[in-house]
Amino acid sequence: MDKFSLYVPNFLPFKEYFVPEKNTACPGCGLALAIRQTYKAIELAMEKAVWEKAQQGKLFDGVFAKSPVGKSEPSLLKVKTGTAELSICFDNEAGGGIDEAIKKAMPAIAVAEGFHYVATASPSYPFDLYEKIKRAMEVAGKAYIHILCPCPVGWQFDPETTVKVGRWAVESRAFPLYEVSAGTAYHLTIQTPKPRPLSDYLKPQYRFGELSEKQIADAQTAVESDYKKLTDKAQPA
Amino acid sequence: MEATAKFSKTMIECTLLDKDLGRPFKPGDRREATPEWDKDKCIRCGLCYVYCPDGAIYRTEDGFFEADTDKCKGCGICHRECWFGVISMVKED
Repeated sequence: MDKFSLYVPNFLPFKEYFVPEKNTACPGCGLALAIRQTYKAIELAMEKAVWEKAQQGKLFDGVFAKSPVGKSEPSLLKVKTGTAELSICFDNEAGGGIDEAIKKAMPAIAVAEGFHYVATASPSYPFDLYEKIKRAMEVAGKAYIHILCPCPVGWQFDPETTVKVGRWAVESRAFPLYEVSAGTAYHLTIQTPKPRPLSDYLKPQYRFGELSEKQIADAQTAVESDYKKLTDKAQPA
Repeated sequence: MEATAKFSKTMIECTLLDKDLGRPFKPGDRREATPEWDKDKCIRCGLCYVYCPDGAIYRTEDGFFEADTDKCKGCGICHRECWFGVISMVKED
């Protein structure tokens, strides 16, 4: 058995930063998983990391967004390193409907605002998330990372399947994982050559239990057109 | 009136005299099931450690993994994510 003693966490720092004494997160919380992985990535800049509440309808300095993240106001984790100014948004789609689940406006707003590094990440792909945060901390300028955190209580699915639901969101192309450096260079970090149908991602969530088949089909076409726009940008012109 | 008074009295007694309420809260107190590792099958890859949301899984000296019962909430992500089906969720009494 010694031959197969692979040890996956060798690629991650061993020290735990996210161990509050009274951890009141629900069982299977995707947000807690994302925060734990994020804290491992920003280990040296932990002391300077600050949680900031976004102002009403205002996401970045000087940018007014109508309602990109649903009814709830997002909290941003702001990290300042030597040259980079990184803000991380943990999105659990609180109070959001089908429109929000399949279309993410925040990364596009950040690209238009002139951020030097914009990326989307998911805690179901921990090493992808880890490398993106490491890369964002070395950027000279502003950086933004959007993390999709599945919420078993709000989305109403079995807490066992938190990581699976996050993976299905990526495999069904509803939440493609990509990064944009210097505002123009798009790069898809996780390729999905054989996509799942979108219903695989929507059906396990009881909050979408009342959707008709026509609505799911419309959402499927919207997801495909969005993904095609993204791949057109990702190809070298 | 008598019935409601009696009911509220018993409710108060039930809540106040429950000895479990008088102690500090630990994250793992309301766990329904505990993960257990089958050490014959485990290849010690550590995926359960990576995907645990609460940081409850730690590595023992012989290289295998165990769950800290004070922190584990019994969500079952490790049971679901293990490629080899090593982890089983055992219900407590």
